[in-house]
Amino acid sequence: MKRILVVLSVIAALAASFTAAEAAKKKDGKPDGGTLNYGEYGRPATLDPVTSNEMISLRITELIFNGLVGINEKQEIVPELAEKWEVSKDNRVYTFFLRKDVTWHAREGEQPKPFTADDVVFTYHIMMHPKTITPLKVRYEFISSVEKIDDSTVRFTLKRPILNALAKFSFKIIPKHGPANSDYLTRDDPFVQHPVGTGPFMLKNVTPEREIILVANDNYFKGRPHINQFSAKPFADQNIMTQALMFNAIDMIVLVNPRDIPEIQGDKRFILQPYNALSYSFFGYNMKNPFLADKRVRKAFTHAVNRQEMLDSFFNGQGTIISGPFAPGSWAYNLDVQPLAFDPQKASSLLAEAGFTKGADGFLQKDGNKLELTLKVPIEKESEAIKRVVLAFKNYLKNVGVDVKVEFKEWQAWKEDVFLEHDFDIVFASWVFDDSADISSLFHSGEIGPWKNNFGSYANAEVDGLINESKLTLDHEKKRTINRKLHAILAEENPYTFLWTLTNYTAYHKKIRRVAIHPYKFFTFADEWFMEDGK
Amino acid sequence: MRNAQVEKLFTRIGAGAVLLSLILFAGPLHAADDAVQKAIKAVEKHRYEEGARDLRQAMQALEQSKQSQAQLALGMLYLRNAELHRELAQASLAVSADHLKRLSAERGGSRSRIAGFYLALVNLESGKGDVASAQLEKFLADGGGDARLKARAKIASGAAAARAGKQEQAKAAWADADTAEPDAKALLAAAFSRGGMTDRNPAALCDEAVMAAKRSGKPLTTTLAAGCLEVYASTGAVDKGADLLARTDLRMPAYRESIGKSKVLSFYDPQLLPALADFYLRAAVSSLEKAAGDASLRGIANYYLGEAYALSGSLDKAAGATAQFLSSAQMPPQYKNRALVRQGAIQYQKGKQTEAIGVWDELSRGQQGNPELLADILDTCGRLRIDCPRLAQTGATSAESGDGKRFMVLNAGLGRYYAGKKDNAKALAYLEAGRDKGNKNKIEANDPLLLVQLAEAYYRTKKFSEALEIYFEMSKQFPQVRQIQEALQGIYSVEHKSAGDVKIN
Repeated sequence: MKRILVVLSVIAALAASFTAAEAAKKKDGKPDGGTLNYGEYGRPATLDPVTSNEMISLRITELIFNGLVGINEKQEIVPELAEKWEVSKDNRVYTFFLRKDVTWHAREGEQPKPFTADDVVFTYHIMMHPKTITPLKVRYEFISSVEKIDDSTVRFTLKRPILNALAKFSFKIIPKHGPANSDYLTRDDPFVQHPVGTGPFMLKNVTPEREIILVANDNYFKGRPHINQFSAKPFADQNIMTQALMFNAIDMIVLVNPRDIPEIQGDKRFILQPYNALSYSFFGYNMKNPFLADKRVRKAFTHAVNRQEMLDSFFNGQGTIISGPFAPGSWAYNLDVQPLAFDPQKASSLLAEAGFTKGADGFLQKDGNKLELTLKVPIEKESEAIKRVVLAFKNYLKNVGVDVKVEFKEWQAWKEDVFLEHDFDIVFASWVFDDSADISSLFHSGEIGPWKNNFGSYANAEVDGLINESKLTLDHEKKRTINRKLHAILAEENPYTFLWTLTNYTAYHKKIRRVAIHPYKFFTFADEWFMEDGK
Repeated sequence: MRNAQVEKLFTRIGAGAVLLSLILFAGPLHAADDAVQKAIKAVEKHRYEEGARDLRQAMQALEQSKQSQAQLALGMLYLRNAELHRELAQASLAVSADHLKRLSAERGGSRSRIAGFYLALVNLESGKGDVASAQLEKFLADGGGDARLKARAKIASGAAAARAGKQEQAKAAWADADTAEPDAKALLAAAFSRGGMTDRNPAALCDEAVMAAKRSGKPLTTTLAAGCLEVYASTGAVDKGADLLARTDLRMPAYRESIGKSKVLSFYDPQLLPALADFYLRAAVSSLEKAAGDASLRGIANYYLGEAYALSGSLDKAAGATAQFLSSAQMPPQYKNRALVRQGAIQYQKGKQTEAIGVWDELSRGQQGNPELLADILDTCGRLRIDCPRLAQTGATSAESGDGKRFMVLNAGLGRYYAGKKDNAKALAYLEAGRDKGNKNKIEANDPLLLVQLAEAYYRTKKFSEALEIYFEMSKQFPQVRQIQEALQGIYSVEHKSAGDVKIN
């Protein structure tokens, strides 16, 4: 009898494990298997969703983590770690009911731990801790408190109702047992390099070449992803990345070099898919430099550079010149504001008006100080096109008497110089926005400080006022009007020389199927992708 | 011009080849030749507005022998522009209605007082006269805004009544409208013109409105342009219309409503794009008819005239011109195909559906593997909302196996077919495959018609930023798309579901 019971128990256990495995599989009939190697244009500094402030990390964290809510392809908010939610009548209290079948990726030698309300509360507190290094705080200042109701219920109380509040709860949840320091998170914490999430893929390892290997999470609560492994391969040079695709060394490029688009479109093996990450490139100025604090100087620099010529020469004209702080595909772009014209004479007049005169060496000077500036460019940007852009910029400014020294720096060192030490005069970089068109962290004076996005220390009371008003309003059209005003002011103020938005295409091999791209986060729907024949 | 030259001209124009002018104008170039050459280049580059404007300016200086060529080029520019503006008008009405519905549904102190009025105008323009009538009545009952808007509402109310056959009611509404302002006068003239009330001399009314507006020293408004272009189109006064267009900033809204200190709404005239489409079409017919007067160009002119007549709904004339083209000279086969496809379309529109589909089936069977032909048939099916599943399947199979630019045309045809069927996902996939990605939004490389359809598919699938980027680029040549951009931005500002993230790159 005892033996029969044992046998029945074994059968029951087998049946249970079989059912669990079956439950973990997606039921769409698509094959599992295969490795997707994708090319990135650099190496991420961190792999967690709190400390990272760059696109390469964002794409990785999208594969590893989940938010309480997500967004589907129809732009609808959908449940993720929260299976449902309730909103109070005054739109100030959001109660989330969490899934009970979610576990954290297991660390080696450990059993998977369950995801609970404690993790949500922990994430919010560590994110908002003053010592945590993150650009996210400004986005969540509208939250007044968070409380755990029980293991699977958590309640957020807002200081005030805000537009699109639910979408804000898409921030990624990290485990309470994750960071070594449970109070605040810095880039020194081991967790930022070895993250543990709830998402469809788990970090396996980072190779000595900084290739990041992710493997499928068999226990993913939406069903095991179809593809077995994602591998992010960094390329410093975009031309080499394209060649790697052409020679089958990688299967996908997240952002195709505009110059290579015709070549890839002509090759039937690949699909070119546009996605509109709202992005633009710029030269940003440090207001702590007294020369650059004068808006006439900044405006002169914008007049001095021929943006259309650079775009045409270095990017085959594959983009659009912009006039202000939003991308042309954004709802916030002010269509009445035109880009400042290339006009070196006007530039010279403005510089003269600002008190500069030509010195013996041909360069401008004021009060005995030469107009000599350092332009810092991250080394990941050391593609041929970017090199040409910064050298052209140097030459354009030389033509109006400004001496620019270009310094290429390793990505992490560049970020420290720019975001932490603010040790630069001019930077070349790009911002990528989600479609909320929120520029508050870039230009509000409250966002000046270490690891904050207003690295140029731009301060303007009118801009601050408009940003504050924009955050408080619950009227979409009013927000639009305010953003149009912001656009007009910043176009006139030139805290940056706004350059262009480039054409965004991803390219991938046809063997990868059902590819849907999130325009900002990119890999949001990657658990549904599959490889033809599972290879 | 010799026949052989005509054929070459024809082929090149159709194929959009850059070398056209070298063939046409072998030998030393004169300024006059240059003007026509530039115009043909403008057709190839889809720079219709600029091309027509420049050619019109140059035409006075052209010698008599070049006038027909110039008229042909002008006719082609206007025809393509008319076709494009038909599409733009449709896109604008759809997206404006969506935006205005949202605005007029808002409640509270900061709601718009006039969004409902503009929604009524959009409904009227979309053929929903009853709905518009009720909305206008409500707007007037609620006070009707300022004097300008009140006058406008009464004129529109009359137009809705006239459309419903209530002539007396219409006349009463119009008589009650204050038409002292040039804009109101222009709109009244357009209403008379639409209602067939030529005894009221709408053209003279427009002349009066335009004169008064010029005298005031203020820029001419888009409302004035919308009203009078429609009138000038109906009377064939192409020069007057062109002059009016040249003096109007087509980006300007018809009305700006300020609500409090931080909310400004811009409203656009829904009549503008349809009026432009009608005007360009009338101008195209006028120029092409003049070109057809020259025996050496008659064949080509008839080909395009057939297309223009069909677009204007003159099916008998379209059939006649197309038949004349087919029976005339030895024209390139690809254009014979197109003319035959058009003949099928005319038959279909005349109620001979079976014959039409028979023509297309026979054509496609006879020339299997001809992607241009298949694309043309599918395009026609899409435009006329005809179910052509067998041809779509053949096209899909062919597009999958084909390669190169020829098959991009087929993908575009498939995209247009599915766009016509409102299958946005398929339309998007095929139109994207038909797009020159190396010049993503550039109208010089991509037919703006395809881009408008692509933008529509992106809009319907809520990829608003892709649609906005298309119009951003297009606005450089066609500033009148501003009304679509503004409405799209408005919808996007509400629809987006993002957390407010930004990253350095």
